[in-house]
Amino acid sequence: MDRAVPHVPRRLRLTVAIGALLTLLGTYLVSTTDRADAAPVANAIRVAEFPADCTYSHRLPDDPIVFPGLPGASHMHSFFGSKVTNAKTTLPDLVNSPTTCNPLVDVSSYWVPTLYRDNVAVEPAIATFYYLGEGVRADVVANTQPFPQGLRLVAGNAKATGPNDSIARWSCLHAGQVPPSKDFVNCPSGTMLESYLDFPQCWNGRDLDSPDHKSHLAYPVNQACPSTHPVHVPKLRQVLRYPVTGDPSHFRLASGPGYTMHGDFFNAWPVAEMARRVQDCIRPVIKCGHDGRPI
Amino acid sequence: MRQPTAFTVLAAVLLLGGCGAGPRDAASTTPPPVPAPAVTTAPTRTGTAFNPTDIAWLQLTAAMTERLLPVLDLVPARTTDPVWRRTATEVATTRRADLDRARRLLADAAAPTTNPHEGHDMPGMVTAQELTALRAASGKPFLRLLAGHLRAHLAQSVRIAEAEQQSGVQPATLALAAAVVRTGTDELARLDHLPG
Repeated sequence: MDRAVPHVPRRLRLTVAIGALLTLLGTYLVSTTDRADAAPVANAIRVAEFPADCTYSHRLPDDPIVFPGLPGASHMHSFFGSKVTNAKTTLPDLVNSPTTCNPLVDVSSYWVPTLYRDNVAVEPAIATFYYLGEGVRADVVANTQPFPQGLRLVAGNAKATGPNDSIARWSCLHAGQVPPSKDFVNCPSGTMLESYLDFPQCWNGRDLDSPDHKSHLAYPVNQACPSTHPVHVPKLRQVLRYPVTGDPSHFRLASGPGYTMHGDFFNAWPVAEMARRVQDCIRPVIKCGHDGRPI
Repeated sequence: MRQPTAFTVLAAVLLLGGCGAGPRDAASTTPPPVPAPAVTTAPTRTGTAFNPTDIAWLQLTAAMTERLLPVLDLVPARTTDPVWRRTATEVATTRRADLDRARRLLADAAAPTTNPHEGHDMPGMVTAQELTALRAASGKPFLRLLAGHLRAHLAQSVRIAEAEQQSGVQPATLALAAAVVRTGTDELARLDHLPG
């Protein structure tokens, strides 16, 4: 066989070689994912990702992480995911609650300060919560652990007193020419105002919450998790698309200027569903759909 | 013959392509041991009976009061009305005492006294913009702004103190909440009779 190869036209040889590579890749991935139904993996997209799309559910001036048991204590929040979240919500309230998420198994709660345009509340047309394996070395991604059920987490600089100490990021959907900013941007008509927020991905392996609701997790340092927070969990990236454009002076968040954007996450994924996605999508670096299967 | 060669190429492609997780995955089909999380719903503290609502309410009460006091401090320089000046002094005295109690209780709870929402607009808190407007005003316009902010602060203080009474557990914190409800309700009634 090998000796015949030189007589095969160059293009065909290339095709054969690519075919062999793909076949091998398929074999290789089947062997590593250890799944009988892993055939589609042959065409897997090598991005460690699984998503939950959770449309707007409700608004309340509540925050069960920062102000547990104190209804009305917070600025207005817009809630996504579980439809039951209020100031008194705990994990058992979320488990088996109705949800706005695709997939329906995600009964977690996500919330952000409400956006107002000329003092009228505007809710995102699209709210996607990506679970990613990125921003750290490949061996760290390969050791990603599922979020523990009941984990509570606040991202975004809650103490933002100016754009400089904020990790908020505002941009325009389908208008890449508009430079992203930590404060609201002026999006051309026909586009959408979008907000990106990355949650920290290194857990201390011990606490589901902490006094400041942040310090049980940390952001990576030099592509790895610091020794104080050694457990690598998925990077939660919140992407919200608001159906508004134009002069940002009309916009405000319930918490203040655009740079006060923050996100809260209360994990209530069923343990097995989260674990399966981490195992099948994040660790092997495969882009999965809402069902947690390779796309 | 071909397979090992092709595998080498594949491995090279995977590595060059940055898909570095590749070869290691074979070893990671067995998930690494998950550290057993201590399922605590509240931060670990020693010898206290504070629940998360107690802590959150104390932090918020301290933050709200810290935001109100600079507003009340503006009053003597901006109005000569004796009733307003006396009211501002009395509210400030009460709230300073509440703030001291809240801070002591937070210390007992070994909880941070920081305001988790510092720099954020919160109900019942005067924003930086509103404080600037107050500083620029005097006389009746000042009193109108002041009355609005004071009413918003007191109404929100009473509202969340009542929530603390329902969901809190620590006795001294509950006592402080009861005091805030009592004095706040009295002060709101007084505001209705002040010259505006």
